[in-house]
Amino acid sequence: MPYYEKSEDWLRESALLLQARPATTRVTTKYHLKPARRLTKEQKALAKQQLAADGKKAPGPAPAPATTTAVPTKPPRGHLLLKTFDPQSGVALKYKTSKAAEVTRLVQMLGTLGRRMAALPEVAGAGQQHDEPMPDAEAAAAGSGTQTPVPTAASTPAAGASGQGPQPGGGGKGKKKKGKR
Amino acid sequence: MDHLTHDEFFIKLAELFSSRKNKDHGKICLTQKRFSYGQDIPEPSAADHFPGLNVDGPLPVLIRASNGKSKPRRADKVKLSTVVEPSDLDAFYGRYAEVCKAGMLALKPRDRTKRKAKAKKKKGGAQQTAVAS
Repeated sequence: MPYYEKSEDWLRESALLLQARPATTRVTTKYHLKPARRLTKEQKALAKQQLAADGKKAPGPAPAPATTTAVPTKPPRGHLLLKTFDPQSGVALKYKTSKAAEVTRLVQMLGTLGRRMAALPEVAGAGQQHDEPMPDAEAAAAGSGTQTPVPTAASTPAAGASGQGPQPGGGGKGKKKKGKR
Repeated sequence: MDHLTHDEFFIKLAELFSSRKNKDHGKICLTQKRFSYGQDIPEPSAADHFPGLNVDGPLPVLIRASNGKSKPRRADKVKLSTVVEPSDLDAFYGRYAEVCKAGMLALKPRDRTKRKAKAKKKKGGAQQTAVAS
């Protein structure tokens, strides 16, 4: 049950799984809210200082307001978990994020997967990566101890028809800037 | 349970999201799969490992949404579902993205503090070098 680092990887593997088992594979999107209880070290120190200061000034009911002022500084955090699961082979592919900026892109990905579910041909100009036979992916899928659908998926004639060009790399830019300084 | 029309589905989904607004717990599950009810696709066997590969023509997609309440709180469970015809997929996902983006408010907004700090640092550094020269 791998978690993918990048949503693109998740999309590619999910598309392959869907290609192999289009009838049973489902994609679940879970939006999950959690109270932000964990404080950072600085916040903890600050709360302690406040507590101590309040305790010195007024040794009575002071500590309670100090904690209540410290807590609401952090809003509850949401997480988004994408999971592709095929009950027949038991393959589950996951991707997790907490960034709001990704939502639109992820729903677009759900759309491309939806097209596959509907057995529609892929949109050529959608900008999504097409399937290419990937030895790494095959190894990963085999390593997860499940019956891997990847080899058959990769060997279908539809795969890799137009996806040979260089992919538009958006990931490298930030790193380069950091290195320059 | 009957399937909703797209309009109803989006209205109720927006309600579902807004019910979690300003709350610090809870979840919303969205699921999509091929609408394969009544198609009688056989279980995979040794002879046919991948049934369901050869279907004629496009099929609809089933979209489900729920608030994930189970056994003890079954009464509070909200279940929504709709069927999207292949021809409506693009329009549907466009609206879907809007509703999701508007509803998932507790996700981290884009962090601009780092960039600002960096800009400040650069400015400070430039001034320092100017003074030094």
